Amino acid sequence: MLEKENKLLEQIKKTFHSAKVEVKREMRVAVQLRSDLIPPFLSYAKEYLEFKHLSHISCVDWIEDDELELVFILWNYELHVQIIAKTRIERENAQFVSLKKFWNQADTYEREIHEMYGVNFEGNDNLGEFILEDWEGKPPMLRDFDTIKYSKETYFQRPGREDAQNVRETITKHSGEEVPEFAKDYTIRNIEE
Amino acid sequence: MELNWIKIAGFILTPIIAFVVGVTYGGIVRNITARVQNRFGPPPWQNLFDIIKLYSKKTAINHGWMQHLGPAFAITASITSLFFIPILRDSEMFSLLSFNGDLIFLLYMMVFGALGMALGVGQTGNPNAAIGVSRGLSQMVGYEIPFVLALVAIMIQYQTTNLNDILSAQSQFTDWIIFQNPFAFIAGMLALLGMMGYAPFDVVFAPAELASGPPSEFGGKYLALMQTSGSIFAFAKLTLFADLFLGGAENFGILVIKTFAIYMFPVFVGVVNPRFRTEQSIQFFWKWPTAFGILAIIMVAW
Amino acid sequence: MITPNIDEKDKRRIRDIVQDFARKHSLWVLAYGTGCGAIEIPPTMTSRYDAERFGIRGAATPRQADVLLITGYLSTKTLKRVIRTYEQMQDPKYVIGFGSCTINGGMYWDSYNTINALDRYLPVDVYINGCMPRPEAVIQGFIKLQNLIAEGKGNGADKYKENLEWYRENQKKIIHNWEMPDYNW
Repeated sequence: MLEKENKLLEQIKKTFHSAKVEVKREMRVAVQLRSDLIPPFLSYAKEYLEFKHLSHISCVDWIEDDELELVFILWNYELHVQIIAKTRIERENAQFVSLKKFWNQADTYEREIHEMYGVNFEGNDNLGEFILEDWEGKPPMLRDFDTIKYSKETYFQRPGREDAQNVRETITKHSGEEVPEFAKDYTIRNIEE
Repeated sequence: MELNWIKIAGFILTPIIAFVVGVTYGGIVRNITARVQNRFGPPPWQNLFDIIKLYSKKTAINHGWMQHLGPAFAITASITSLFFIPILRDSEMFSLLSFNGDLIFLLYMMVFGALGMALGVGQTGNPNAAIGVSRGLSQMVGYEIPFVLALVAIMIQYQTTNLNDILSAQSQFTDWIIFQNPFAFIAGMLALLGMMGYAPFDVVFAPAELASGPPSEFGGKYLALMQTSGSIFAFAKLTLFADLFLGGAENFGILVIKTFAIYMFPVFVGVVNPRFRTEQSIQFFWKWPTAFGILAIIMVAW
Repeated sequence: MITPNIDEKDKRRIRDIVQDFARKHSLWVLAYGTGCGAIEIPPTMTSRYDAERFGIRGAATPRQADVLLITGYLSTKTLKRVIRTYEQMQDPKYVIGFGSCTINGGMYWDSYNTINALDRYLPVDVYINGCMPRPEAVIQGFIKLQNLIAEGKGNGADKYKENLEWYRENQKKIIHNWEMPDYNW
């Protein structure tokens, strides 16, 4: 059933003793590493385990633990398995090493993470203004940047949004229909598989 | 010298008639294009509304006095070419000017408008416009060659360069040049495809190409002048072809029928074809149309 | 440069009626999709919901266009370019705000990068709401603009020229790096 994923799990655990490896589901393996093991692990995965394709680099803000988490997603063309490598770095003055020499497209992801989260990647010279023009202030995707307050102060809001109503209830009041059961509370839904 | 009032009336009426007929043809062509694309198009007088709207723009932004001169050159060339083409056959009011050698003069006058506009466009400093102008002039080099070959074949056959003489030599139905020298007719019609500016040779003025090429910095009144001169010039070209190959017309009804019939050829080729690049269009014009033109000359020169 | 005419506002002469009739029946829209609402423009202009019946055509450059369609959200980066484009168009010109992002911010009302009310930065003549509006709604918006022009009320460009300092102050508040030519056309 999950043979190739379990085989990968064994291989990774033999080489990187401190990694926490888990098989999430079919075609997906998650690896949690220390932050200084990421460059060796990505190089090992690219050359030995044939995970040649970098799909995405993403960043998550764990403000409760005062840490940022970087997520690297790799893909294997023959085995059709995805490896998700995660690592935690410090939140203030976040530094990491640039992976441009492994995959050239990591340049774009690093520029975006630098602009939105403030992580400095050493070895990447292209870090600068990317998507936002003339942005001064905090990197906007961090969770302690208050976007609603910023938007209300900088951009003129048209009045009338304070008494915004629930769309479903308003329409049913006008048309006189009944909201069906499955649509009444959208957040509680059991996904049965 | 006494003034010939009939001729003066002809001088004033001819551009007005050419403008009205040209604008109506443009609107009808937009309607035909729309029906081919399975929709209803604008009403046939839509081009007139466009030109009136462009004339009633309140500001005219220009980049210098040469840009004023560009559309002025274009409309001067159109109206002057119109005066040298006999509109109706034996009418004093509508065949205005002629002299021996006016066919060669017409060849020059038709090119003069585009050259003047290129001068005006160069003043604007827009790189899109400059590339568009160079494309337009290269394409003109392409289609002028079969056109000149066809005209030279006719001139050799009838031993004259006066357009009125060529017109009077086609007095009967079987004397029309379309039957007497069919290769010249084919070469001329293929050159007409390039002159009219419909697809596949519309890389110069199409809106999706280089932000519409030469008129990209013209707005308001300049664009109105260029569209007016374009309509007048279209009518002039069609009447020239009707006079050369189909024997002219005695009254306006027959003239409208003949010019509309000739006009349908570029239009119907245009609605179903994509666009050629500039070098592809020059290659097209220098292969088969030029071959037909040379055949036409060889046939009459023996 | 030719300076703009200021027509007398008390009586509409025959010349104004003829000019407005021609203006309303031939609206040239600049082919510039500023936001995600631009995906509703090709269906409106092509065969099924034919907008060419009303004389509406696409124009290639701002110098040739009459109507600027702001389709959807505007980030501050795009707003600077749109202002420059608007000032290059020739009078009389109209702006149509398309979609609910131009009215009150729409789906992106709490974003750090998009503006919420277009009225403060450019003079808008007609709003079309919806997310996105259907082609029938778009055509109805154009007909409303045609009715406004026929009554002589399509003067957003004059409003911009008269209140230029107010518009500039609002624009410079969110665009920090202001390096643009002055509006003297």
